[in-house]
Amino acid sequence: MINSVATAGGLFGPPQTVSKETGGLNTVIGYWYHEDTYKNGADHTIKQNEIYSQVAYGAKNIWEIYARIGVSDLKIFDAFSSTDASTTTDKNDFEENWEFFGTLGAKGFYPINKTFGIGALIQGTYYFSNFTDDVAGTSGSKPFTTDLKVKNLWDVNFGVGFQAIIPYGIKLYAGPYIYFSEAKVSLAANIPGLKYAGGNVSVENKSIAGGFAGINIPLAKGFRLNVEGQYSDKFSAGAAVSYTY
Amino acid sequence: MKSYLTLIVLFIFLAVGCAHSPTSIVLPQARSFPQPVLLASSSNKIPVKSSRKPVDAIDDEYKDDQNLDYANDTFKEERVEIADPLEPFNRAMHQFNDKLYFWALKPFAQGYNTVVPEPARISVKNFFSNLGFPARFLNCLLQTDFGGASTEFSRFAINTVWGVGGLLDPSAGKELDLQKQDTDLGQTLGVYGVGHGFYIVWPVYGPSSPRDTVTIGGDCFLYPPSYIEPWYVNRGVWAYEKINYVSLRIGDYESLIGAAIDPYVSIRDAYIQYRLKDVKARKEKSLLFKDGNVSLPPADQSLPK
Repeated sequence: MINSVATAGGLFGPPQTVSKETGGLNTVIGYWYHEDTYKNGADHTIKQNEIYSQVAYGAKNIWEIYARIGVSDLKIFDAFSSTDASTTTDKNDFEENWEFFGTLGAKGFYPINKTFGIGALIQGTYYFSNFTDDVAGTSGSKPFTTDLKVKNLWDVNFGVGFQAIIPYGIKLYAGPYIYFSEAKVSLAANIPGLKYAGGNVSVENKSIAGGFAGINIPLAKGFRLNVEGQYSDKFSAGAAVSYTY
Repeated sequence: MKSYLTLIVLFIFLAVGCAHSPTSIVLPQARSFPQPVLLASSSNKIPVKSSRKPVDAIDDEYKDDQNLDYANDTFKEERVEIADPLEPFNRAMHQFNDKLYFWALKPFAQGYNTVVPEPARISVKNFFSNLGFPARFLNCLLQTDFGGASTEFSRFAINTVWGVGGLLDPSAGKELDLQKQDTDLGQTLGVYGVGHGFYIVWPVYGPSSPRDTVTIGGDCFLYPPSYIEPWYVNRGVWAYEKINYVSLRIGDYESLIGAAIDPYVSIRDAYIQYRLKDVKARKEKSLLFKDGNVSLPPADQSLPK
């Protein structure tokens, strides 16, 4: 039985908001590549590519709230691999293309001095749509077709970030984070040798902690580039471009 | 029930078009045409860009009114004439539109105004404005205004991506300062030298001319919401757009007609002047059709004095 999964909602971004001190919006377009491993008996790797748009409001250089909407694919390696010699399948991996997700988050920042500061963030993501993929094969020489659904995928992340502002207004940041994610996984038919055959299975992440680091670079005319990496079981990374109003 | 719905939709459809043209007073006397109209002189160079800088989103919303390519005070007034052979019909349509404005569109818009906060209404207007990109972009190209086409393309890309699908207008901000190229097919024809022709007031759509009437069809063809199916959803979206727009302009029309002795004449003159200036400003930006001494379109010059 597989009982772990990990999802992602994109970059955390620098702990300090990029909105104007007097208060204002900033908007972001971002891409995030997410990879993770989950285990229970067998190791499984998941991969996701996400594209999202974000609206944020921040003020006083110390706080920000934000909302994202985006689309993501999902690939689970070896999800359809059979453990029973009498069952064969036409493919091993679960794959589904773009499904919608939404993310809400908030950040708080405390400046220690002009250069350094510390902040905290909380970010939660929910997938509005189910991921579904079909599989066909034979079980005991009888042909079958069934589908696997990944439903109610959500996660929540909590992180603490340390930030340094270097010349040209470039922000470097890094810190640890913890996260929890959950989803319901079900196979439509009970096929011997296939995982998730036991009906609705609740799956969770195995690794609960990781680290993140990134750089936020001012471009021109109010735009900023943010590049970030996160590591828990595997390395994930992404980039986003923000515009400050 | 279906017929009731059809009537309601038709009513809203008719009502929203009044934003363009409502007037209230029908004067009995028939006017001989052509009618003189005060027109800005073409002898001065036409500035192609507003010097006004946007301040914030809500102020930006109203800058379209001032962001006319010719917006300055360097114009001298000259008299030109506009044919109005359909004046009795036009006055009737004028009054029809006026009543639709006061009896239907304005109450709807006021109710909507009360319920929906201004920033949200501005975002809705931005969203629909962003969808008007294909028409503006194509007309800039047809006018050989490649700078304008480039600006429009940049605006569309930036507002769609960083403006959350066009709900926000970062392009018009101080940093980027990419202002909307408010052009249409009628202006393109004007740039090509097609004259106004005579004045006509359409029910719902308001003041127009044979040349500018082409805009209605052309813009519809290039406006993505026009392709929404079924038709009543399409019309509903259109009506909503107009109500939203008018909710941001309540009082403008009242001010215009309140100061006029004959609102029909005031609106006709204002419309013709506005369009002629638009065409002149667009010509100034055109690579091929720009000339040192911008002249009136031939059809207008050919009118009897």
